[in-house]
Amino acid sequence: MAKKLITTTAPGVYRIIGVDFNIGALKSAGKRYWLFVALLGIIITLGIVAWGTALANGGSVMAMRDNYPWGLWFTNYMYYVGLSAGGLIVYASVHLFGAEQFKPLSRLAVLQAGVLVMLALLGIITDMERPWRAVYMLLTPNGTSPFVYTGSAANIYMIICFVDLWVLITGFGGKKLAHRMTLIALPFAIYLHTTTAFVLSLNKSRELWNSAVMVPIFLTSATASGVALLLICAYIMQSLGVFKFASSMFRSLSTLLATVMIIDLFLLVVEILTVFWPTSSKPGHAIRFSHFFTGEYAWAFIPVLVLGFGAFALLAGRKTRHLPTVQITASIMYVVAVFFKRYSLMAMGFSTNTLGQYSSPYFPSLVEVLIALGLLAVGLMIMTLSAKVLPLQVPEDEHDEEPAALGAGVEPVVEAG
Amino acid sequence: MRLYAGGPIFLAALAVFMLAGIFFAPSAFAGRSSTGELAFYPCTKCHPVTVDAGGNPVPPLPNGFKKHTITLEVHDTLGKDEKACLMCHDDPSRNPGMLIAPDGSLIDITGDVSRVCQRCHFEKYREWQVGVHGKNLPKCTAAGCHDPHTPSWIYVAALPPFLGSGFEVQAVGEHELFKPLAGPPVYPPVNTPLSLVVVASIGAVIGAGTLGLLIMGRSKR
Repeated sequence: MAKKLITTTAPGVYRIIGVDFNIGALKSAGKRYWLFVALLGIIITLGIVAWGTALANGGSVMAMRDNYPWGLWFTNYMYYVGLSAGGLIVYASVHLFGAEQFKPLSRLAVLQAGVLVMLALLGIITDMERPWRAVYMLLTPNGTSPFVYTGSAANIYMIICFVDLWVLITGFGGKKLAHRMTLIALPFAIYLHTTTAFVLSLNKSRELWNSAVMVPIFLTSATASGVALLLICAYIMQSLGVFKFASSMFRSLSTLLATVMIIDLFLLVVEILTVFWPTSSKPGHAIRFSHFFTGEYAWAFIPVLVLGFGAFALLAGRKTRHLPTVQITASIMYVVAVFFKRYSLMAMGFSTNTLGQYSSPYFPSLVEVLIALGLLAVGLMIMTLSAKVLPLQVPEDEHDEEPAALGAGVEPVVEAG
Repeated sequence: MRLYAGGPIFLAALAVFMLAGIFFAPSAFAGRSSTGELAFYPCTKCHPVTVDAGGNPVPPLPNGFKKHTITLEVHDTLGKDEKACLMCHDDPSRNPGMLIAPDGSLIDITGDVSRVCQRCHFEKYREWQVGVHGKNLPKCTAAGCHDPHTPSWIYVAALPPFLGSGFEVQAVGEHELFKPLAGPPVYPPVNTPLSLVVVASIGAVIGAGTLGLLIMGRSKR
């Protein structure tokens, strides 16, 4: 792809496939910016070393055994896929429901969604001891396995997110194409989260997973945690001077967050009631779930309820909902709560195996932790660099006008010689 | 007495029982003792529930506890002769009224005997605890469900006019004998190479230093 140096707008701006990459902004970045990038670089390096260790030594360096065939990578897969939902919901609400107050967030939201799904997929790749065999899933797919559907859906969803971001930045195709892309992306997002929930709920041998409410719980907790993360991300970007958002946008976002939160918590309470209600209680369900209230797994599940209801209580008050401290605290609480929820969901299938034998909680090994941290650092690195290099700020004049066609607008002047 | 399903005496008894059941329909159901605990298996009439200072049963065991034989039909898998008794009972010559709980403690024979069953039948015990198995009856044996020595036999209540009497039927079919499940396997430990620990430690120190610089830079501002 040919690169053209833009000299009319700002020095160091390169246009690649219609997107202006402001490489020059990196040169003017402060010392603390580069220190943060260096910190992420160190974590990524450790993650790569840990992955190399896993490839060289096999599964023995990981804490996953027959009782826990899935571990931290699967918790993170569910978590990242869920977090990506928030970005898309916000982006879709701009184009489908006319929620113009979220328009300044649209590019950031789509970028966040794409990066998070990418992290989820990298989690699968790094878990594989023979990652090059991943292609066999495409060549000889097992139609009864939900992994075929959720894996392919995640890949396509990631591509859709990045194409969407390109459309939003370049303005290619105008509002019409952006609207059509939303019509494709939103059902695909629902499809992705549904198939991810199916990975759990379509197992009749794991009694707590085998619940029809698993799919709506997945969708609501995905949306709630995703919107919460987007709110945190927007505040960080604003404090770094990348964006300037109206306080009304944050208020709308926190109202949306509180609404989705209470639906999510409601579904969880309904599931708990169904498990323990005397006339519906099944021994398999009740015994397994009791480990998460009073047993060894309580540390993972009780925080879901405490942090979840605590976060909702913070946002429920209309007088305090607009306060940034309240919004950020509630969002952090819910993002943490959903991580614990993902761990608990995984553990609910494995704490008691199909023979009725109990397993103590799973804790990841050093290799797994380093790989997970490395992947998180990759995501943060992309967001950190994008904040400087990519034009994530939606221009004021673009809010109401028809976006210009690709390449139009500023005429690039190629430096002579 | 024990009556095998299909036998003429059994069928006659069943017919009488069904007639009685129809007559007393509102309160008639199988599986519960009509007179309370140990109605059909009066262990405590012979077994003492207390011991004296010397550890001997009070009152003394009838006939020195000799000729006290019980035929095990299902629980014969527990062992041969006295070994089978000692799987559940404390030393029968000393204090057979005490039974052994899963944690090794002793339970009085009139106490929570179900915990003795739990030692092997832990899955059924859990089901019984949550009320799915056993119709919420308070005990496995004393309430009139299972014969503790041959648990595939269950007691059937004989309600008035047969108050105080009862008989057993074999409610559980002749299926494969129960075998307690093996415990969960012991999984191999996590292998963390020393080289990775060293590299991770160095990385953690450098990362902490970088983080410190980041925080210090902020405080200067």
